[in-house]
Amino acid sequence: MIIEIAWKNVWRNKVRSLIVIAAMTIGVFAGVFSIAVMNSSVVQRIDSAVNEELSHIQINNKDFRSSNDINDFIPDLDTLFEKILTTEGVEDATGRIIVQAMASTARKSTGVMLVGIDPEKERHIFTLGEKVIPGTGGFFQGETKYNTAYIGEKLAKELNIVRYMMDDEAFNKMSESDIPQEVILKLEQFRGVRFVSEKKLKAELRNVLSHKEFRQYSGQVFSSAWSYREGSRIVFTFVDCEGNQTGATFRITGIFRTNNDMFETSSVFVPYDELCSLTGIEPGNYHRIIARLTDNDITDRVTREVRAALPSLEVLNWKEISPDLAMLADFMQQIYALFMIIILAALAFGIVNTMLMAVLERTREIGMLAAIGMNRKKIFAMIMTESVFLSVIGGISGMIVGMVIIAVTSRNGINLVNYSEGMEAIGYSVNLFPVIDPLFFTITACLIILTGIISSVYPARKALKLNPVEALRGEK
Amino acid sequence: MNVLEINEVYKTYHDTEVAVTAVNGVTLSFERGEFAAVVGPSGSGKTTLLNLIGGLDQPTDGEIIVAGHRLSELRPSELIDFRMEHVGFVFQSYNLIPVLTASENIGFIMNLQHWPADKRKKRTDELLHSVGLADRGNSRPSQLSGGQQQRVAVARALATRPEFILADEPTANLDSKSTDTLLDIMEKLNRDEEMTFIFSTHDSRVVRRARRIITLEDGRVVSDERR
Ligand SMILES: Nc1ncnc2c1ncn2[C@@H]1O[C@H](COP(=O)(O)OP(=O)(O)OP(=O)(O)O)[C@@H](O)[C@H]1O
Ligand SMILES: [Mg+2]
Repeated sequence: MIIEIAWKNVWRNKVRSLIVIAAMTIGVFAGVFSIAVMNSSVVQRIDSAVNEELSHIQINNKDFRSSNDINDFIPDLDTLFEKILTTEGVEDATGRIIVQAMASTARKSTGVMLVGIDPEKERHIFTLGEKVIPGTGGFFQGETKYNTAYIGEKLAKELNIVRYMMDDEAFNKMSESDIPQEVILKLEQFRGVRFVSEKKLKAELRNVLSHKEFRQYSGQVFSSAWSYREGSRIVFTFVDCEGNQTGATFRITGIFRTNNDMFETSSVFVPYDELCSLTGIEPGNYHRIIARLTDNDITDRVTREVRAALPSLEVLNWKEISPDLAMLADFMQQIYALFMIIILAALAFGIVNTMLMAVLERTREIGMLAAIGMNRKKIFAMIMTESVFLSVIGGISGMIVGMVIIAVTSRNGINLVNYSEGMEAIGYSVNLFPVIDPLFFTITACLIILTGIISSVYPARKALKLNPVEALRGEK
Repeated sequence: MNVLEINEVYKTYHDTEVAVTAVNGVTLSFERGEFAAVVGPSGSGKTTLLNLIGGLDQPTDGEIIVAGHRLSELRPSELIDFRMEHVGFVFQSYNLIPVLTASENIGFIMNLQHWPADKRKKRTDELLHSVGLADRGNSRPSQLSGGQQQRVAVARALATRPEFILADEPTANLDSKSTDTLLDIMEKLNRDEEMTFIFSTHDSRVVRRARRIITLEDGRVVSDERR
């Protein structure tokens, strides 16, 4: 009965209740959604760090990281692999050799890390192969005959392997895109021109296009003009096992695009066998073992176990290799908590305010109820139930709206292309796919209800303090 | 047997500048089935006396005994249950719960007392009939006239057959026709259900229909006549 009366009381002042509920809906939705958006960039960043760049755990000799000594191989590989693979939570592991090199083309050169991998094996463990820009080669599909290399787009641009051709094909692509005809006409003067770098094309575009046009369409112009000569070559020079300067020409059979420019410029992947024979490394030796785990959440535990099993080696997980990333994840947790506290506090004030009003304007009625024998417990319960109804309706509808919008936006992502340069340079995706942990949702739901309960205590106590005689005397 | 005994009851308010003794040494007793009016000029202590009898307020001195319960011995929480069990209240206004229908209002105390649904419904229908609102059971208070609301309040007050019904100026907001109807109903219920009614009033039409008239002046009983 109490529940029924409380429910009806909620709808006594429909407008007021709906306003409170709407305010709570918006508040909860805004909070949950902004957390989901913030979370998405962190989750994506960690995802690519783990899946493409670092893997979960890396193992190498204790001083390899600082010396990069080409002869510093991990000993006793058979027992080591057995120990790693039998650790619970380790999905798979593979070895790499890493050689410092200088990459040069006819125009430029830059220092890189040559990573010798077994493409067939790594294809199953990591998703780096999926990051290939379509049409740039098949490094992970077996195009590894002789000297082939898989390089990042950023490096390709730096070495002028990727260029920007305003050829007929580019103009065809542009007219198929949603670039307006008048913008294309302005670009007509560049037909047939080849730009060696994005920077040069960008400078020209800035000259001929208005600020707004540039902002809106430059991305599409770049991708239309993007061109790469299949089979372009890079010369890598490095020091071999014996300490002799040596080098070789590599054919590019794949350009990958990630969100991390640093990683794209510094890492070049080449077939393990080729790198062994070029450097004179005895096949079967590795500088580093990388292991993939079944779940990111168990990283700390598995790291401890592997480290205990391999005391003579350096065992580091991605959080230790990239402490900034781990710190960011922790920091974001605190930001989320702060966000939630703010939302819940606003929610609490809304409920306290509304319920206090409801109690005060019903003074006589509550006095009457107490007079005819409704006991304190029941009056208290009635007011509490009213508040809980309000907060639950508001909170849950906010979460539903949030969930729906997160579901919709996470399908297509939220494009932040206008801010892309700054974000990609430090490894963040420009396309955000809001994600939220189901556990977070459950916790939020519980917290909202708890907030509703806690914030109704004060108005409910206020109702108890009413003296029925005085409340009723007011009636004259 | 007496349903109510009041022995040398005093009520003094100290919260004003000068202490006011609203009830000043009242001794009364009521038998089952009485139909009594408490009258007197404004400020004579009628409301205060009824509140004391109903356990809404505590006397400064003296003893009130309802069906063997000494009210002074009850703790505040027991007083609430005491009221629910033994006293029916009808106030001048604000009697009903606005969000509930007439039937639900009548059933409210039965509900608090956990009556089974079928028994509750039977009693509610019977009372709706007695107060002449058989066809208005599903109306909200706001859809009823003032007189009809008071009739619902009377029906609710006596639904669980309390010791007596206290009504403080139940007709003060009603026109003369509604007043007559309400009194007809109260008389009928007094007769049919043997329910004791104690009501205060200013209205001579109401006073005329009482079978016992208790007159207060400055908190004292100055006359107590039965007819
Ligand atoms: N809470 C209170 N504090 C102080 N004085 C009070 C209080 N309640 C009542 N009184 C005083 O007690 C006296 C009796 O009041 P009461 O309301 O019982 O009179 P009444 O006979 O019901 O009057 P009316 O016919 O106007 O309703 C009055 O003088 C009133 O001012
Ligand atoms: Mg009065």
